[in-house]
Amino acid sequence: MARRAAVRTVQRRARGPVPQAKVPIRVKINGVEYSHEVEPRLLLVHYIRDVVGLTGTHIGCDTSNCGACTVLMKGTWGNEWRAVKSCTLYAVQADGAEIITIEGLAKNGELHPLQKAFWEHHALQCGYCTPGMILAALGFLKLNPNPTREEIRKGISGNLCRCTGYVNIVKAIEAAAKEIREKGSWI
Amino acid sequence: MDEETIKRFEQILKAREFYVVGKKVARVDALDAVLGRPMYTTDLLTSKALYVRAVRSPHPHALIRSIDSSATRSVRGVVDVITHREIPGVNDAGSLTSDRPLLAVDRVRHYGEAVALVVGEDEVSVDEGIAAFRVEYEPLPAVFDPVEALKPDAPRIQEQGNLINHVKIRKGNVEEGFSASDVVIRNEYRTPFMDGVPMEIEVAYAYPEPDGTITCIASMQNPFDVYNKVTKVLGLPPEKVRVIQAATGGGFGPKSDESPIDVAAYAALAAYRNRRPALATFTREEAMAVQTKRHSFRIVNETGATSDGRLLAWRSTLYLTNGPYYSKGHLVIQRATFHCTGPYEVPNVWADGYAVLTNNTLAGSTRGFGAPEAHFAAEVQMDVLAEKLGMDPLELRMKNMLRPGSLTATSQRIDDDGLVRCVEAAARLSRWTERRREHEQFNRANGRYRRGIGIALLYHGNTLGPEGEDYAVVHLSVDERGKVKLQTGLTEYGTGALTSLAILVAEALGIDVRDVELLRPDTRAVRNPGPTVASRTTVIGGRAALDAAAKLRAILDPIAAELLGCRQDELVYRDGKVMVAGDPNRSISFRELVRRAIGMGLELKVEGFYKAPDTKWDKETGQGAPYNQYTFGALVSEVEVDLLTGAVRVLRMTAVYDVGKAINPLGLKALIEGGSIMGLGHALTEEFLLSDGVPVTLGFQGYSIPTSVESPFEIVQEVVESEGKIGALGAKAMGEIPVVLPMASIANAVAHAIGYHIKETPLKPSRILEALEELGIAYRP
Repeated sequence: MARRAAVRTVQRRARGPVPQAKVPIRVKINGVEYSHEVEPRLLLVHYIRDVVGLTGTHIGCDTSNCGACTVLMKGTWGNEWRAVKSCTLYAVQADGAEIITIEGLAKNGELHPLQKAFWEHHALQCGYCTPGMILAALGFLKLNPNPTREEIRKGISGNLCRCTGYVNIVKAIEAAAKEIREKGSWI
Repeated sequence: MDEETIKRFEQILKAREFYVVGKKVARVDALDAVLGRPMYTTDLLTSKALYVRAVRSPHPHALIRSIDSSATRSVRGVVDVITHREIPGVNDAGSLTSDRPLLAVDRVRHYGEAVALVVGEDEVSVDEGIAAFRVEYEPLPAVFDPVEALKPDAPRIQEQGNLINHVKIRKGNVEEGFSASDVVIRNEYRTPFMDGVPMEIEVAYAYPEPDGTITCIASMQNPFDVYNKVTKVLGLPPEKVRVIQAATGGGFGPKSDESPIDVAAYAALAAYRNRRPALATFTREEAMAVQTKRHSFRIVNETGATSDGRLLAWRSTLYLTNGPYYSKGHLVIQRATFHCTGPYEVPNVWADGYAVLTNNTLAGSTRGFGAPEAHFAAEVQMDVLAEKLGMDPLELRMKNMLRPGSLTATSQRIDDDGLVRCVEAAARLSRWTERRREHEQFNRANGRYRRGIGIALLYHGNTLGPEGEDYAVVHLSVDERGKVKLQTGLTEYGTGALTSLAILVAEALGIDVRDVELLRPDTRAVRNPGPTVASRTTVIGGRAALDAAAKLRAILDPIAAELLGCRQDELVYRDGKVMVAGDPNRSISFRELVRRAIGMGLELKVEGFYKAPDTKWDKETGQGAPYNQYTFGALVSEVEVDLLTGAVRVLRMTAVYDVGKAINPLGLKALIEGGSIMGLGHALTEEFLLSDGVPVTLGFQGYSIPTSVESPFEIVQEVVESEGKIGALGAKAMGEIPVVLPMASIANAVAHAIGYHIKETPLKPSRILEALEELGIAYRP
């Protein structure tokens, strides 16, 4: 029966077989305060998508390999914004944290420099990895605002894209980095 | 419709300079993606849905002795269990051939085959239900090797036997060709199963409408394949099923085959039986276990040539390892066999291609459809031959490549000079001769790293050809604002092909591409346009889009001519206006013209159609013209091999393709980059391994696709335009093409670096190290 385990879902293991008492959490997502009671083993990505209803954060695997679920987060490990794969955290671990998802990037009808650059540089094809890729790039640019192309490639190597071959993604991030530096505001 | 208008319209498009075609146009649908707007199937759930998942076989081949679902039914939250007995219609989910049941009846033929469905209130209860489900299997002898599977005493996987197609090429007299040859070489090449791995996992959402219709929204390439099978499985009248393609996160072939039918039927069955919305999706591991793979190939090539490098004879034997069901294996072997010599003129060819059922994972369409494997075997063979003859690999290729007037392996005459132009451009851009010398100098330093440069050439028979009816349908309608709505059952899943259709329509009607709106593919709104496969959309769909535009012009032209007081053939559609040729002051805006036409009670709603000519070839000899036109290309790769670790790094690729006509240059460039890197993965890391039919490389932790750091920093590109016979404005197929050559090109570059041709992919470090040890050049610090 060990064979069968391979095709069974990983979700079940992650969530646990026995329903547990719910835990209250407060999270600020894209500037909006949310309070919910959640099961302790609810993954953060499921919380963002299914409970809060922000579906721009995607799921491409269940094993933290693909990065489609990447969001920016502050307040879980200190007070710096950093990109995290939201399938690697439980929602309860985000209690008290601030999160930015793809829906929170455009401001007053204006695209974020990364969104604009991804669009203009044809940095997406099927678009599925795009939100995670943009947030991974933003987290990286926060750490390294003036990267070389090689550094960009290393910076986003935790996010998989099957369509583009990364060429235009790297170009878009480079262009956005310049615009962000000129603007002096990364978000 | 007015034939004359349509003809004139085509002439106008051919004659004039283009205003939209060939210009830099951003993807019309990319904005939603960068904003993260709801567009994919799971983003569109309108209410809480039931959850469906399959109970899957742990055996590659077994009889089902008994099924006991009582424990499952008592799990809290489980609402329904569906076995083959509960299927209201026909238990048939095979995409082309009705040989594959949706749910196993008395026998499973591959690991992961679905035996039953568990439907529950949520994922957790469904998984509990699956864990409680009891199936008693009696394992059967299984076969995994294609040569073993062809033996008379091999386990018979389907009634009719394991050989599902034998494709032949008989050109000239191959024995005479070999006897006249100064040099004859024979090599065996192997490629493993691979996975297309679209980033979005298979998913479908179905719900019952008040009138009893089951509507299914899903991720897929071919809504009508899904629609036909779901209708059959549910046993409903055709008008009671509706399938809509949601934005689809990658296709690559698997989403044109079996698994999209499966998930859609799972969701539809659950929704139909329980009168509630239902969601079916796989986990990544489950998807990798059951979505159709790129077939594993074993190819033996025997090649004879004169001492000055003229090819005289070529014999190929190809074994395609299929899964236990046809899917597209019988067609993939055909394409692989027809392309077995590579793009070279060989007077005498003998080829046998065998597609063989085994108890391995399902295999079917994957980008390239047998061409990458055939090209790998042919192009490495050409390099080995060059080495044997002491010739430069490029020189040997130029001596034998298909030129205008050449005959292919199937004796199809080549009319255009696409390949010649590609090869010349690739040699120039890559600085082939100098780089070759530089790398050889670098290697003489004899340190830890060796560098090499390799080339591979391509020809790719366009669109379906012998693989099916090659037609397309595109619907256009215009509203009072002058906005043109484009709807077709041809789908977008990342290639940007629908943007190309919008560009063609904008060009034809002289409007801005932003005034063309794409509507979602919906089986209720469009006619079946044929499948979105075989790189068809721009080439064949583009013709249908132009036909639709011509039909709109046939309605609008008489009105415009009367308003402007000119002849119809004097009308020019451009910059959102319709004007009189040579007198641009006499004009009317497109929007105003449309408003007048609508005011006159005319309905601006047309259906464009195009069907490519049927292709003909002889089944016994393979001789004839199986394809309407060919795409050509050349890919140069440069690599660095680490003699300590066996790791290969691709430094640079130079890609030149003859695209016929670049309709959407930005999209094309991006497509070539992406396909090149997908092919790089095929060359270096990707292999879907099975142990006696049981997958061992499930998930991204087991199956490695390229990340941003493994990709080369530079892909130099050039496009050649050698007009094709059938494509829209002369366009040739490009969607799959960039993935065809990297395996061969990179393998040849590695061979140049280490002095030995490895004839099996992927060129993973362990395999390289093994060769380095053999050669005695492994680096010891």
